[in-house]
Amino acid sequence: MQEEKKKNKKKSYIAKASTAENSSRSVSALQAFFVHLICGLGLAIALWVAHNFYAINLVSDPSRTLRLIWIVQSPIVTLLYSWFRLDPERCSYLKAVGRGMLALPAGALVNALGAIVLGAPVGIEYLPKTINWSVLMSLCTFVPAASVFGSSWSHWQRMFAHTKPNEPLEYMICIPAHGAVIGAWLGAWPMPLDWERPWQEWPVCVTYGAMTGYLVAMVVSLGFVVVHGRRQNLKRD
Amino acid sequence: MEGRRRRWCYWVVTVVHVVGILIFTRGFLLTRTELPYYSHCSDVSQSPCFSPTNNDSLSSSSSSSDSSINSSNINQDQHCWTKPAVDRLVIIVLDALRFDFVAPSTFFPEKKPWMDKLPVLQRLAFKQGSSARIFKAIADPPTTSLQRLKGLTTGGLPTFIDVGNSFGAPAIVEDNFIHQLVINGKRVVMMGDDTWVQLFPHHFNKSYPYPSFNVKDLHTVDNGCIDHLFPSLYQEDWDVLIAHFLGVDHAGHIFGVDSVQMIEKLEQYNLLLEKVIKVLESQSGPGGIHENTLLIVMGDHGQTLNGDHGGGSAEEVETSIFAMSFKQPPVSIPPELDTSSCEQDLDGRKMCTSSIQQLDFAVTVSALLGVSFPFGSIGRVNPELYALGASKWNLEDTGAGDCKNQAKLQEWVQNYVNVLCINAWQVKRYIDVYSASSMIGFSSEDLLHISDIYNQAEGNWSNTKNFLLYENEQGHSLLPALRRQIDAYSNFLSNVSELARSKWTEFNLRMMGIGLAIMLMSVFIIFLAIWQSNRPQIAFPLPSGDSRISFDVIFAFFIVAIRACSLFSNSYILEEGKVAIFLLATTGIVKLQCSIMKKKMLPEAVVFLLLVSVLRFTIEIGLSKQAATSLFLNVSSSWMLRFAPDHPLWTYMSESGPILALILLAWLLYRTISSIYCQGIWKYVIMGTISSYILIAVHWGSESSISSVSSLLQGVGRSYIPRMVYTVGLGQLFLMAFGQLFSKEKALDEKWSLIMKTTAMLSAWSSTIIILSGQQGSLIALASVIGGYCILRLDSMEEDAISGTVRKLNFNPLAVTQWNLLAVCLFFATGHWCAFDGLRYGAAFVGFDEFVLVRQAILLTVESFGFSHILPILGLPFLAVCRYSPGQTNHGKSSIFSLLYPMYMMFGLITTTTVIATLMCVTIQRRHLMVWGLFAPKFVFDVVGLILTDLIICLALIFYSGKGEDRR
Repeated sequence: MQEEKKKNKKKSYIAKASTAENSSRSVSALQAFFVHLICGLGLAIALWVAHNFYAINLVSDPSRTLRLIWIVQSPIVTLLYSWFRLDPERCSYLKAVGRGMLALPAGALVNALGAIVLGAPVGIEYLPKTINWSVLMSLCTFVPAASVFGSSWSHWQRMFAHTKPNEPLEYMICIPAHGAVIGAWLGAWPMPLDWERPWQEWPVCVTYGAMTGYLVAMVVSLGFVVVHGRRQNLKRD
Repeated sequence: MEGRRRRWCYWVVTVVHVVGILIFTRGFLLTRTELPYYSHCSDVSQSPCFSPTNNDSLSSSSSSSDSSINSSNINQDQHCWTKPAVDRLVIIVLDALRFDFVAPSTFFPEKKPWMDKLPVLQRLAFKQGSSARIFKAIADPPTTSLQRLKGLTTGGLPTFIDVGNSFGAPAIVEDNFIHQLVINGKRVVMMGDDTWVQLFPHHFNKSYPYPSFNVKDLHTVDNGCIDHLFPSLYQEDWDVLIAHFLGVDHAGHIFGVDSVQMIEKLEQYNLLLEKVIKVLESQSGPGGIHENTLLIVMGDHGQTLNGDHGGGSAEEVETSIFAMSFKQPPVSIPPELDTSSCEQDLDGRKMCTSSIQQLDFAVTVSALLGVSFPFGSIGRVNPELYALGASKWNLEDTGAGDCKNQAKLQEWVQNYVNVLCINAWQVKRYIDVYSASSMIGFSSEDLLHISDIYNQAEGNWSNTKNFLLYENEQGHSLLPALRRQIDAYSNFLSNVSELARSKWTEFNLRMMGIGLAIMLMSVFIIFLAIWQSNRPQIAFPLPSGDSRISFDVIFAFFIVAIRACSLFSNSYILEEGKVAIFLLATTGIVKLQCSIMKKKMLPEAVVFLLLVSVLRFTIEIGLSKQAATSLFLNVSSSWMLRFAPDHPLWTYMSESGPILALILLAWLLYRTISSIYCQGIWKYVIMGTISSYILIAVHWGSESSISSVSSLLQGVGRSYIPRMVYTVGLGQLFLMAFGQLFSKEKALDEKWSLIMKTTAMLSAWSSTIIILSGQQGSLIALASVIGGYCILRLDSMEEDAISGTVRKLNFNPLAVTQWNLLAVCLFFATGHWCAFDGLRYGAAFVGFDEFVLVRQAILLTVESFGFSHILPILGLPFLAVCRYSPGQTNHGKSSIFSLLYPMYMMFGLITTTTVIATLMCVTIQRRHLMVWGLFAPKFVFDVVGLILTDLIICLALIFYSGKGEDRR
């Protein structure tokens, strides 16, 4: 019984994977590199703008800086990833963008709840910070997946529950998302220390952690994409 | 038979733990016994020294040719052990006064902004021919105010745990300087820090205490002090005045030493001291009320640049004493007694400061005031401080001249020798009595050495005494003989204080190392035992195997390791509850991910996360309570919604909520009874608990302000209901033990009989724990039931997935880790924290009004560790049950007990690991600032928790395995 189920599952994976390969645009290493580069540049530009035009940074005014970052980053992420949507024939580009936009608040809610369970401060004065932070986290985690996969539950499950990506596009979504979450988790550790530095406040160091994790994971995912591409080439040969 | 061996195995672990902890504690937690003996004026006749009357005749015969026995007889009744040198004493304590606040900046390599802010003291001390002096006072760790005040007044070395300390109340029971003042008829006035009133509740004639706990308040205590200080200075109704200012300490804690607030405080004190000195000077003429007054301005301990104190670093132990008498210049003491170190200032003026041990303060001041020395003092009368007051009996010597000076000096030294003689005799008496009456006294060779030195000094003394009595008429200088005598006594006293320091303030690293090694060995034993219990099936599973299981194992180890590492920082220890809940939530999220993957048990995972977030808020409430009294923790309780506490709806909810939770729990138990498996003893036990719950509900109802039954039950319910609940609980335990021993009936089903046993055991304990925890108890109990249920449901999810495949580890360490983390969280969620003020002393008096040490201690232990140790450990079989599928019985060896046993071992392993981390951290941080404020209490709580865990595991293994194993 159990084995049968497993087999079925495997079959469905293979079927889906193959359909995915057929229906979505296949992603070359170069494309992946540019997607990640643009996302990373988006973050950098947002931080640069905040620093030079508004004279704020994460430490001095976390909620405004975070808002600026996600405002800059959200069009970049949705527009970029919508390009790689599954099933491009049946799903228009605009629809994919719309899905991404819808996922933004939903993902923010999930992230905020997760943060609160883990101990993020709750209170009126922390509310804007938490909201802005969770929107940013949503951009790193949920929005790309929503733009690409839409409501395909099996894909979501494979990305975030099984953590078993098996093609370049999935690497590009899954690994940075996990990197951001793990980075944020690690970033929370300095918070209780008694160094009394301003960056130990919620959500400054968590944001730093998340961004670092995100950037590192993008490099890693690029590596995976390259390796995957090579293997694919070998197979073809 | 194997079962027996296994049960025996955990007893071995327990014994190893106890031995390791005892050895470690011998090295780390220094203990001292408080003696209930007091010095009396008449005692001095037992000493070999001149009694004050003798001494008087001696000094008068030596100084002036006419004997003035008459005058000495007049004063005789005022004398106690020594001749009073000052009549009144003003002690101004500036809390956390660093030495460099007082001493001139030329003493230090670099001038810092906070130096030279008390110029009035420097000016007076360095004026030519002044009778003021600045001392560097060396305190002994622990440098916390309470311990320091105790040390200053008793002249001893208070340790972290003074055996004999009364439960909760810090009042000093040992003999002390304040007590001596009171029994000698001196009137003492106190103002400022209310710690004094806690330490000496009945000693002060007048006291103006101000609360010391609010660190953020820099001014209340100081202003209160100032308000009462100046009027008092003009009054005659006191002999000793103590004013304790807290501003510098608080400014340091909040802003640090290098801050504007600190400098403002110091400048304020400078003005204040100037004014005080002016007032005293103005009345110090002959016949004035301050004719014979000594002013002492002192710190109780220093502080680091961050404002912390408690440890033994130079910054913390170096404080200052400024003493000034309003008489003509004091005798210049012989150079070998002078410890001063001098520096030139910019104008080439010579500035000297001396050095004194804080240990010597009590006895020196006692000698100055002429009261008997505190019984437990091991200090030495400091010659320089003593000399400041010595001018009183030299008033008639107005003429100058070498000869006169020489005579004056000789007379002073003679007097000082006699004081030292009394001092040495008193210290020897204390050492003898202490080693005779204390269990953990000094080693016999140390004692022998001390006695040798004393006897030598005494032998010398009898010579010197004869010399003094019969040969001083011949006029040749006595000074060399007296100096030798002073050296002999000083040698003895310094030997004693050195021995006492090594015994009471120094850690024994070798002992700590051995203890730690033994604890590590115990981990090895447990590991081996777990491996053994798994071996019959398959070798230890870490490498290879199902990826999910090995992920779980690694994840569990990771969580335990992170928690252990977090104990190495004081910040994480302070917020340990938050760390535990963070880790628990992380495991919850991983489980949620897993349940999404498996597409089942989603509600359980979500409920678990919800429960975690609720617990998180209760832990934060606990933390905010802790922050109110803790000097180290600043928690902003900003998240708390501002409920109007008097809102009727709110009161209604807060009072009916617990009762509803209780009813729910009772209903759950009722459901259990009605199941077919529940029979025999277990049924009666559970019914007993239900009735206890009803009693508790009535009890709470009678205390509530909204119900109408309150008036009816007021009289009866208050103490009888809790006692009935305790009795029922005890009865249930006895009944179960009895049932375990004598009932012969065969259980229908191994699994169900274990469930029933566990439920009965838990329910028997729960009623007592709930009533002790107060209203939150039932809510927390409900939360732990839900939490436990979620953990085992989520764990069994794993089970279904892998059944059919070969089993690797027959239990899941992640579930046990979660169970343990939940237990830790419950400890903090019930409003406890690892400090002695984190104990809920009120719980010890639920149902009892009078204090009986053993009974109240048991109640307090049950309350403190009930939810975090007793219930989780006794409830662990549920995890085993849900892992156990009945089909496995025919595999022969894998009975349910063989599942239970490694689970208990695993639980023990996790607890031991964290305790070992605590031990290591305490060893590494033993010189940390907060070692006494934070690490030591944490150590005590962890160690007690570990031993309790071990004992409960042993008993639980006996109880649950019992027959099932023996039958085989």
